[in-house]
Amino acid sequence: MLVLSLVLVPIVVGLALLVVRNENPTMSRTIGALVALYTLVAAVASHGSEWSYRWLSRPFEASFHFGDTAISYWLVLLLAICTLCAILATNVPRQRAFIAQMLLLEGAMLGLFLARDLLLFALFWDLMLLPVFFTLLGWGEHVATAWRYFIYNFAGGLCLLLATAAFGMLFGSTDVIGRSDVHLVGAWVPWIFWGFAIAFLVKTPVWPLHTWMPLTYSDTPSPMVAVVSAVQSKGGLYGLIAIGMAFMPDYLKAYAGIFVVLGVISLLYGAFVAVTQNDAKRVVAYSSLSHLGLIVIALASFNATALQGAVIYIVAHGLFSAALFLILGFVESREETRSLVRLGGLGAANPRLAGALCIAALAALGLPGLAGFVGELVILTGIFQAGFTIPAILALIPIVLASAYMLRLFQGIMNGPEVPDLPVRRDLGWLEGLALAPLVLALVVLGVNPHALTTFDASAYNAVASTLQGGTR
Amino acid sequence: MNPTVTNADWYALAPIAIVAIAALVVLIADLFAPKHVNRYVAIALGVIGLAAAGIDCAAAYGHDYAAFGGAFIVGGFSVVFQEIVIVAALGSIVLYGAIGNGERIAGAVALLLWSACGAMLMAGAGNLMTIFLGLELLSLALYCLCGLADRPTARESAFKYLILSSVASGFMLYGMALLFGASGSVALADFTAPALASNPLLWIGAGLFLVGISFKLSLVPFHAWSPDVYEGAPLPVTAFMSVATKAGTLAVFARFIYAALPAGIAPKLLLPIWIVAAISMIAGNVGMLAQHDLKRLLAYSGIAQVGYILAALAGGTPLGMRYAIFYLAAYTFMNLGAFAVAALLSDDGEQGSRLANYRGLAQRSPVAAAMMTLFLLALAGLPPTAGFLGKILILSTSVSTGYAWLGIALIVGTAISLYAYAKVIRAMYERNEHAHAHDAHPSVPLAWVSAAICVVVVIALTFYPLTPSNVLPLVR
Repeated sequence: MLVLSLVLVPIVVGLALLVVRNENPTMSRTIGALVALYTLVAAVASHGSEWSYRWLSRPFEASFHFGDTAISYWLVLLLAICTLCAILATNVPRQRAFIAQMLLLEGAMLGLFLARDLLLFALFWDLMLLPVFFTLLGWGEHVATAWRYFIYNFAGGLCLLLATAAFGMLFGSTDVIGRSDVHLVGAWVPWIFWGFAIAFLVKTPVWPLHTWMPLTYSDTPSPMVAVVSAVQSKGGLYGLIAIGMAFMPDYLKAYAGIFVVLGVISLLYGAFVAVTQNDAKRVVAYSSLSHLGLIVIALASFNATALQGAVIYIVAHGLFSAALFLILGFVESREETRSLVRLGGLGAANPRLAGALCIAALAALGLPGLAGFVGELVILTGIFQAGFTIPAILALIPIVLASAYMLRLFQGIMNGPEVPDLPVRRDLGWLEGLALAPLVLALVVLGVNPHALTTFDASAYNAVASTLQGGTR
Repeated sequence: MNPTVTNADWYALAPIAIVAIAALVVLIADLFAPKHVNRYVAIALGVIGLAAAGIDCAAAYGHDYAAFGGAFIVGGFSVVFQEIVIVAALGSIVLYGAIGNGERIAGAVALLLWSACGAMLMAGAGNLMTIFLGLELLSLALYCLCGLADRPTARESAFKYLILSSVASGFMLYGMALLFGASGSVALADFTAPALASNPLLWIGAGLFLVGISFKLSLVPFHAWSPDVYEGAPLPVTAFMSVATKAGTLAVFARFIYAALPAGIAPKLLLPIWIVAAISMIAGNVGMLAQHDLKRLLAYSGIAQVGYILAALAGGTPLGMRYAIFYLAAYTFMNLGAFAVAALLSDDGEQGSRLANYRGLAQRSPVAAAMMTLFLLALAGLPPTAGFLGKILILSTSVSTGYAWLGIALIVGTAISLYAYAKVIRAMYERNEHAHAHDAHPSVPLAWVSAAICVVVVIALTFYPLTPSNVLPLVR
């Protein structure tokens, strides 16, 4: 039941917040933070437990089956932490409704990662689009962005739905996530595979399906985009691991070339574009495209080391991209712009803000000692081991470029002479500091001690690892 | 044929008789009811009559019986379709609580009940005569209902419906005549003779019959009437028409293709219908994009939704039938809910139908906006609504019966439709600084209750997917 409450509590509280009429911003933030804290505690407490209730018995079996798996456990924790930090950092007009949307988003995404049933997974996949859509409509700058986000992702969701239905008909049950004895065979399987794959690749995103992403990331208010970029984009990667790799390994292997090519293009394209952007949020958005491209290659290389690296990097990217977006939110709320051309010299007056941005940016560019480095290193080793030499070499170029765009981001905002017409505001307050502290701390801890994420793998990757054993040469 | 008519035969017609008599009672009571309550007397009597019919009808579930020598067949199939029609009539009648000229309410309610009788008759029709009887009863009452408003568009709507529907009936009648010519019988049961499989008369007859059906279901390219008629008709009538005509006609169609064709010819004979269904899914949803009127929007939506339901029937499997019924039931509640919300916003059924009036609704009446959002999401097939589950079930049937291309058409159609529905949702949540909270319309308790019930059902059906098992259509 605890695991069920993990999904229901944020959704119920979120809906209740939408209805009440109390507009006190501090109260909404406190409630939101308490709920997020509850999900964090409950996620740890309910680790390994399951809850199931039969949903359909015809035409295929489906259940309301919740429970974490080895990989989703980390995503759930990441989501809870990111939501907690983001809610603490929230300071927007119509706060109550915004916090409500944040909680609905958290609930829907917890449902996605905890779902052990494909149909349930598809349900939450569609459901998690709605809070972002409504937030873009209510708080975003451009309505067109909301449409683009929704149409792209919903189209992906429909492919997922069709594939899920076909999966159910073929296998007779969709209650399969986390099971290791499911192997799909048949003439339909390539279609099913691509149905899933398109949804996942749109969500991640990879080139050329990414065009919704920079707009969405720059128009969504920072607290929400922190959660969307840190965790929602991982829904696609999680799906590739938990569904693509686990149930249809032969097809992932057969089409690995396509994934690697798309991954490499995203990797390079994202990095090159990030260098040229003047909008600070877009720099981070394109850097996401680049970083997640690397993870796609890691998954397609079908190698146990690369997979480990991918999981580490998924968590690391979540932490630093959430931190970056929150920091950019603070910068924007202080200076009312996020253009790197206009900004400059904030570091002198805001040392704490500059320090936080420094750590997050260094983690993003892969400095040893921070979490990003471990993930990149392990992934590159894995890709190389798997025999993808050229992609591994190409993947080095964006690492150099990452230094360029991340340092450019930092310099553009923090260094240089103080710009006279920018207002001087006070440094991070205690609440803002509290919002960033867990993320920054986690980046350092995981960078120094990545074992926290890798030691558990012996039992953890059972489902996937068994297919990998057959998979690596 | 069995010439003797027993009491059981008459009992089979009891639900229809109850509704028909309720209509008479409504008319008579209107003569004696005081002017200021006559509206509520008519609605109350109508609701009581329908509820009684619903209970009586449900009792027949599981007791298959062919009344009048097979002319009217009672079984799980007819019960389910009749209940859907009854629900549609209930959901529409209560909308008269807020809409329409008080003096005409009794007449309108009575006509609506008689129209429901026609649809209920179609649900159990076992031969061509009963089908046509039911269809004409349904349609004749609707022609009058469409014209029962003071606007010129209402008369245009009625006239257009009359003319085009009559043409379709002509097609259907000619088809029936050819079917009779081929088989020498009007009973659906006699069309299954293997010898007829290669008889061209049967093919042409069935083709014309299906053209008539396609018109009544407003499938593309026979759909052009429905947006105009829906727009002109009074709101409760549109609500009723959008569900009951479809339910009645689908019942006839499903019985015809499941039980009244010689073995083996269905895949070939019906292929054009499935193609038309696929086109409807796409074209209906594309048509929605340009609409500025809720009734027109829902008319186009209905064109596509019927396409989805047909996709479930394409395989001819029992499960497909169950899912078609599930989706039809879900659609009934989503649609009635949307119309109930529209009724909340209007004094005369007009304000609630113009989409411009939904702008900023969330500020004026957050609950109404939330309910409308839920219904539109359900029509689009998003979770957590019955529309989502219904689409999954239809997809699974179409994939497993070899009609995956219908599933793909459904997906494409749904993707297009999402934009149209979300446009309305977006308008509702648009912020207008000048708007005042709660300057919305007077409380209309009946419509609120109706909308709330629809909300509960639309969500509940997602989690308890009831699909009755005993629903295969019978012929005797």
